[in-house]
Amino acid sequence: MSANFKDMINLSGHVAIVTGAGAGIGRAIAETFAKAGAAVMVSDRTAEAAAKVADGINAAAGKATSIACDVTSDVALAAMVDETVKAFGKVTILVNNAGGGGPKPFDMPMDDFTWAYKLNVFSIFRLCQICAPHIEKAGGGAILMISSMAGENKNQRMTSYGSSKAAANHLTRNMAFDLGPKKIRVNAIAPGAIKTQALASVLTPDIEKAMLKHTPMGRLGEPSDIANAALFLCSPAAEWVSGQVLTVSGGGVQELD
Amino acid sequence: MPHDPYQRLKSPFSLDDYVVIITGAGGAIGGATAEVLAAAGANVVISDLNLETAQIVASKVTKETGKETLAIKTDVTNEVEQQALVDATLKKFGKITALINNVGWGEYTPLWEVTMDYMMKSYLLNTVSAYSLTKLCLPHLKKQENASVTFSGSAVGTTPSPEFISYSNAKAALLHMSKSIAAMSGPHVRANSIVIGSVDNGEATLKAGYDPEMLRRLAESFVMKRRGAPYDIAYAFNFLLSPAAAWITGVQLDVNGGGSYKSKMPTED
Repeated sequence: MSANFKDMINLSGHVAIVTGAGAGIGRAIAETFAKAGAAVMVSDRTAEAAAKVADGINAAAGKATSIACDVTSDVALAAMVDETVKAFGKVTILVNNAGGGGPKPFDMPMDDFTWAYKLNVFSIFRLCQICAPHIEKAGGGAILMISSMAGENKNQRMTSYGSSKAAANHLTRNMAFDLGPKKIRVNAIAPGAIKTQALASVLTPDIEKAMLKHTPMGRLGEPSDIANAALFLCSPAAEWVSGQVLTVSGGGVQELD
Repeated sequence: MPHDPYQRLKSPFSLDDYVVIITGAGGAIGGATAEVLAAAGANVVISDLNLETAQIVASKVTKETGKETLAIKTDVTNEVEQQALVDATLKKFGKITALINNVGWGEYTPLWEVTMDYMMKSYLLNTVSAYSLTKLCLPHLKKQENASVTFSGSAVGTTPSPEFISYSNAKAALLHMSKSIAAMSGPHVRANSIVIGSVDNGEATLKAGYDPEMLRRLAESFVMKRRGAPYDIAYAFNFLLSPAAAWITGVQLDVNGGGSYKSKMPTED
C-alpha cells in the first residue's frame, strides 16, 4: 500500500468489460478506465456505437476493442467474455452499466414488469456468473453495477424499474459475500440525473431548475462524476470496500416529472 | 461556487492547494490520512489531544511528502480550543478547504453499567464537538472551491452494539447529523461520512478491550478476509475530499471489508 493515492487509483494491468458503453455514463467509464491504464472491452447494443468509443480510446493511446452485445442474451454475454479474453488474455473488472426502463403504470402488462428484471437484474447476474471464474483466475478484481436512485426512492409508477434496481442493489450486497473469498469486490453506484446527451435533448432551463429543487449541490451530474467514482471503486484504492451502494447524486433527488 | 469540470477532468484526485484540518490525527487512521492527503498535495493541520503525538505525525508527513504541516493540541470538547484550532490554521495557511472530524473514542462497557454522566460525555466528545467545530469552520469553508466536511463514523454506529452503548449511540447520531448538514450546506460545502469497519490501528485496538483471538475471529468474519489497514480509510478520505467527488454529498460510505460488523465481544455467557 502506498501513501500515494495516485499509485492506488491506477488500473495498469487490468482488463475491464463495460456494458452499455456506446454513450453516456458507460462511455465515460470506458474512457476513464482506459486513461487509468486498463485495457477495455467496449460493449454496446450497437456495434457502431461501441466501435466509435473504442476507436477514440485507441486514438488517445489507450487500449480497447469493441463488440455488439444484447445483455439479455446468454449467448451474446458468453461471446463477449470470450472475445475479451481472446483480445486481452483475461478479465479483472466488470462494469454492469447497461440497463434501463422507467415509469410504468401499476396496471402494466406482466411482460413490461418482467422486462425490467430481464434487463436490470437477470442480465447483470448472469454476466457476473460468467465473468467471476475469469476474474478469480486472474487473481481477483472488481465488479461494479451502475444502479439507480430508483432502487432506494419511493414513488408511484416505479414498481417495475424501482424494484428491479433495488434487486440489483441487494444482489450487489449479497454477491460481495459469495465472491469476497475469491478476492472479487462487488459494489454499485446509484447515480442521480446525469446530463448525458439523451437527457440534454429534453432539458429546458425551466425543467432543469425544477429538477434541481431538492439537490443541495445545485447542478445535474456529469458522466465524469460517475466515471471517477467508478474508477475509485474498481481500483486498488478501494481494496477494502465491498458490498456498498454509493450514491452519487448531488445530495438529492432529481425527477423529470 | 461554480464547479470546474476541467479541473476535475485534468486531475480529479489531486488535493493541490487544499488546506485540511484533521482532528484526532495523532492516531493510526488520522496519521495515515494526513500522509495520503499531503502526498496528494494538501497542507494538513494535525490536531490531537496529545501535542507530542501530533508533532510526531506532522514531522513524519512533512519529511515524507515535503508538504508543510501544522501540529496543534486541541481538546475538541473545549470551545476555546476549537476556535484556537481554526485561528491557527488561518494564520498559517490562510484558508480551510476541508475539515475531517475524526476524533472518536469508545471502550467496552457492560450494557447496564453505564452512568448518565458517562453517556453525556461520550456524546459531547463523539458528536457535539464535531458539530461545534464544523460550525466554526463553515464561514471559511464556504470560500473555497470543492470544500467539504467529512465525519469518521463507525460500524458500531450502524449495527446494534450493546457492548459500546454510549459510543455507538454517539456515532449513530454523528452519522445522522452529517446527512442533515449535507441537506443544507450545499452547494458550497459537501458533507459525508465514512463508516469505518474494524481497522488494525495497533495499540488503540488492544487498549479498547479486544484480545488477539477476538481479532482473528473478526478478520475471518470479513468477506475480504482481513481487517482494515489505516491506508484503506485514508484512500477513502482522499476520494471524498477530491474534485472527483464534487457531486457527492450526504452519503455514508462504509469502508469495512465487505462484511457486516458482528460484535464478537463476550456477552453474558
